[in-house]
Amino acid sequence: MSAYDIVKKSEDLLDQAKDSRADMLMVLVDKKGNQRKRTLQSFVKSGDNDESKSIIFFITPADVKGTSFLVWSEPDKEDDQWLYLPALRRVRQISSSGKGESFMGTEFTYFDMGGYDIDDNTYTLVKEEPIDNNQCYVIEALPKVAKYYSKRIIWIRKDIFVPVKIDFYDKKGLYLKQGIFSDIKDIQGINTPTRMEMYNKQNKRSTVIELSNVVYDTGLKDDIFTQRYMKRGR
Amino acid sequence: MKAYGCASLILIFIHLMPPALAAYQYDRQDSSISLYGYLQGEARYALDDDTPDEDPSQVLNLDLRANLGSWNSMMLVIKGIDDGKVIDPGSARLFNEFDRIYQDRNPSVDIDEAYIDLYTRYMDVRLGIQKFAWGRLDEINPTDNLNTEDLTRGGTDDEVERKIGAPSLKVSMFSGIADIEMVWIPRYVPYRLPNPQERWFPEVMKPPAVIETETLIGEIPVLTTYHDIDLPALNVRNSGGGVRVSGYIAGVDLSLSYFTGYDPMPVTDAATDITVTLEDVLALSYDIDAHVDITPRISRIHVFGFDLTTTVGSFTIRGEGAYFKDKIYNRKLSSVLAQELAGQRQEEMIEEFMQAYISSGGTDTARTFHVEPDMAILEDSMKYGAGIDYIYGDTSVSLQCIQEYMPGFDEDKPVYFIKDGVDTVVTASFKQFFMQNTLEINLDAAHDIQFRDIIFKPSVKYSFTDNLQMCIGAILIEGKYDDALLGQFRDNDEAFAWLRCNF
Repeated sequence: MSAYDIVKKSEDLLDQAKDSRADMLMVLVDKKGNQRKRTLQSFVKSGDNDESKSIIFFITPADVKGTSFLVWSEPDKEDDQWLYLPALRRVRQISSSGKGESFMGTEFTYFDMGGYDIDDNTYTLVKEEPIDNNQCYVIEALPKVAKYYSKRIIWIRKDIFVPVKIDFYDKKGLYLKQGIFSDIKDIQGINTPTRMEMYNKQNKRSTVIELSNVVYDTGLKDDIFTQRYMKRGR
Repeated sequence: MKAYGCASLILIFIHLMPPALAAYQYDRQDSSISLYGYLQGEARYALDDDTPDEDPSQVLNLDLRANLGSWNSMMLVIKGIDDGKVIDPGSARLFNEFDRIYQDRNPSVDIDEAYIDLYTRYMDVRLGIQKFAWGRLDEINPTDNLNTEDLTRGGTDDEVERKIGAPSLKVSMFSGIADIEMVWIPRYVPYRLPNPQERWFPEVMKPPAVIETETLIGEIPVLTTYHDIDLPALNVRNSGGGVRVSGYIAGVDLSLSYFTGYDPMPVTDAATDITVTLEDVLALSYDIDAHVDITPRISRIHVFGFDLTTTVGSFTIRGEGAYFKDKIYNRKLSSVLAQELAGQRQEEMIEEFMQAYISSGGTDTARTFHVEPDMAILEDSMKYGAGIDYIYGDTSVSLQCIQEYMPGFDEDKPVYFIKDGVDTVVTASFKQFFMQNTLEINLDAAHDIQFRDIIFKPSVKYSFTDNLQMCIGAILIEGKYDDALLGQFRDNDEAFAWLRCNF
């Protein structure tokens, strides 16, 4: 099995559901250990031709409650993105060219949150090694065009093909951050990491995302992924 | 004393109240109810010596939302306000009213929004007190005329904050081709103004204290009385409303809109009593004074508009424009009064007074002439603008240019806020987050090209915790002209600080 096939299989297994919804607890930790918490609700729907739609509603804290973020993705095309800020009462179309930017102040970027195409990288199987007694493929992903990272090293569990760790290197080739994906649960036959921690080695900050109430294939309607629902809220 | 009271209240609240007033959320299947809110203490320090001071203000905001299924929801936002800037005009009513311009907010309760929603597959219906947000530009939206504004701070508050909720019905219909929003506002809700003695009372509504004339009488003193609004009868003909059709076409969010109703901008009439008094019979010397009654005037307008937004590379482009039919512009009060009290007009009044004096046998030593000068210029006009936004990580920059064009401008009849038939405003906004969005710096500025005035609003917001925020900032205004939108407030520079506890 080639490195590309491993990554592809991992992606396909995670993306096998037609749609999903989840509650998210996002904890932002600064270098002194101070914590900020945000709760969100996310809905994702995939189409037949690799297109997808997602919408995120911010539930807490109070000053961001009601904010929503909508993305329509199509292959070989820049994403269409809209942001609804209740303080303005307006939906604003925003540029998607900044996928390397922080997602809502976290250590995750829009790219990390799934905004990438598997074919934008070349993959090499470096070695195999265990993490927490689980044997993993260690794969080096090099972008064909280094837009956001110069390199990623991905640890994918051999038994269930779920990525459990990713090291990110910045465009200068320096070690930037590490993502740990844990608390893997079998939800409707899909092995789902329900805890994602991203630790930025350069600024010493981290973000933890915990998923709960994850449900797949609920038959989400396209209506949800519209400006109508952005304004209405979850 | 009041400052200490405010600080104490905030400190007590921060330490004791959050556990008791914690946000309440109840979810059960498709039903939910939630209560959120904040308590905010605010202090303002006037940087110019010649404007009145303000006491600290406190606001308790409660936000209640509920739904009994996916087909409905309700929302109620109530604000309890103890406002240090608004002097009690004498009303003892607790709730802010929907039929008055001058309101009591010391203290008061404001129903900011209160409505119920009904959802069906292709249609949403919202009934109640609502705030609308048409258009795509920031802060200045030519197509957005459904809500009037609370101008007790001169319009320097954020856009949604200063909007006054209007009791109304909104029906939104959705299809794959276009979304249609229809609004009906049965009764006009007037804008709100501070009292004339307060800092943010518009200078353009103050007649000059004296009118200089080139006659022997010289200066004519002017007294002014301000009256509240007299609303039109509640009937369908006097209601307002609009329709907005929106679609997403080839990457562009595009809307077309139409509004008919009363113009949300303040316009006034200025009925004037000019009294001629005989001071000295032997010398035949006269005294003249003027008493101006400033009365709000409302007029129906029709607004045809469009707005759009799209992205080009890393930028978001926004545009908006509107054609105003039958818009009324207020003539400059000083020029109107000077015209009414000009030399020839004085001579006519004195002559008429003398005839009355003689025919009364010398007993009628004073005579009042009532004039109702035409304060209004009825004109069709246009207002349009474009903006560009750039967001990179924690930084966002926004630039806008908005112009108002009055084709029939008559330089012999000058109006407020427009010079030579054109008014162009350029705005710039810069926002930068630091420390995982804990610290936020905002720099907002607007410059009026024709009047050469500028407003600059820097502020820094810091979140101590998720629920406790503080903001310090300033409002700095420079301008030469009293008849300019910004320049009229050039003596209103202030520094401010607020502390907000969310729950």
